[in-house]
Amino acid sequence: MIHFHDVSKHYHDQTALRKITFSIEKGELVFVTGPSGAGKTTLLKLIYLAEKPDEGNISVAGLEIDKLKESKIPLLRRNIGVVFQDFKLLTNRNVFENVALALRIRGVDDKDLKTCVFDALKVVNLRHRSDSYPGSMSGGEQQRVAIARAIVGEPSIILADEPTGNVDPDTSAGIIRTLKDINARGTTILIATHNRELFRNTGRRVLRLDNGDLVGEEIA
Amino acid sequence: MAFPYAFRVAARSIIHEKWINLLSILTMAAGLLFTAITILSIYNVDIATKRLPEKFSMMLYLNDNLSQEELKNIMNTIREDGAVETVKYISKDEALKELEASLKDIQYVLNGLGENPLADSIEVKLKKEAVQPETVKRLAAKIEGLEGIGGIEYGEKFLASIYSINVGMKTIGIIFVTIMSAGMIFVCYSTVKILFYRKNQEIETYKLLGAKKGFIRTPFIIEGAVIGLSAGLLSFVGILSLYYMIIFRLSLTIPLFKAIVFPTDIAIFLPLVGLIIGMIGAAIAIGRIRY
Repeated sequence: MIHFHDVSKHYHDQTALRKITFSIEKGELVFVTGPSGAGKTTLLKLIYLAEKPDEGNISVAGLEIDKLKESKIPLLRRNIGVVFQDFKLLTNRNVFENVALALRIRGVDDKDLKTCVFDALKVVNLRHRSDSYPGSMSGGEQQRVAIARAIVGEPSIILADEPTGNVDPDTSAGIIRTLKDINARGTTILIATHNRELFRNTGRRVLRLDNGDLVGEEIA
Repeated sequence: MAFPYAFRVAARSIIHEKWINLLSILTMAAGLLFTAITILSIYNVDIATKRLPEKFSMMLYLNDNLSQEELKNIMNTIREDGAVETVKYISKDEALKELEASLKDIQYVLNGLGENPLADSIEVKLKKEAVQPETVKRLAAKIEGLEGIGGIEYGEKFLASIYSINVGMKTIGIIFVTIMSAGMIFVCYSTVKILFYRKNQEIETYKLLGAKKGFIRTPFIIEGAVIGLSAGLLSFVGILSLYYMIIFRLSLTIPLFKAIVFPTDIAIFLPLVGLIIGMIGAAIAIGRIRY
């Protein structure tokens, strides 16, 4: 589903990723870990083409994305649900509208949209907060809204960048449980985190990054 | 993007950013009002000059004691010219009668006259399209060369002035309308650009979620169109009020203003131009969207 071959990315004279090669198969849930600045976020950005690689080849869902035309980028991104580190929720829209946005972009009509949004909010246990605005919610709740928005379009891949950052351990466990449930339905998931507790004893594959190098791969 | 949603987003933004939008509408409406006044002036001058050919004629004064043969030759030569519509002979007796009729209230001025001092004459009317300074000048030169012609009168300077005013007003009008249009596009451009910058983060989120360029652009284009259309309608109300003020108030003291014609097409023209300018301004402001 996701294949990196000798991928490098530089920012000015700094190397964010150096000759990274790995593959993630369809339906896998994989963790990417490493200290701050290891290149986790850059790796995710390369997958949804927020950044372009300087060297190497990347293939996502059968698309050679380093050669993808600009006009095809929206179609790639619709196939990937991203839980951003800073959530990227629109503060002037309520929870329903934030989640619905992912479907409006896909051109889903209002009738189908309502059912899908409430289903997604049910998965993250936020159906009762659909009228709330992000500003009035806790960090954990906002994180769950971001997850609902990522899953509502039923993408084949979900990328989660530090999905448990700034939330308490119980909420973290809840978020990971939700992502595991989504993965159980066949969605490929890649979670970037510096928190080892999240993947300890999960039996999932872990890619270890350090200073832009892929330094190890293990089963947690 | 589903159009109703784009309209909802645009409506929300128009209401949310009401003050900046209102300012843009007023500025654009002022620009459109000045443009409309210019167009109205040109339109009226154009109508006035178009009516001119119907009233325009050349008077040829004949020497005394011309034979019928010589008169016939002169009239035929003039008639053969492509620019001429009608040629009419006016004897000096007819001319005197006309003069007496036009001076009937002050006929005493003619009492002292013994012999008829007027000359036989020919009135030449030109085809509408031929009433141009150059054509008239050419014809006058040709007639002057004929034997038996004592003099020609046709208001050469007046004709030249009217055409200069017409051409001058059209040129100034085109330059003015072009500058005003550019200014109005800039106003709309600036408004949408400010809104675009304010919504930068929102637009980034749209892009990351897979929005196509049309989804991002459409609400801004609608917003620009609404600003332009509102300005167009407002300027129409302005020019209509101005027109009726001139017709009902100023024409009482200056009757010439009664002759001003108001083209009804302006009711469609102003809102349409506003709409187009608003959309162009918005489209330029958004520019190229990159992923």
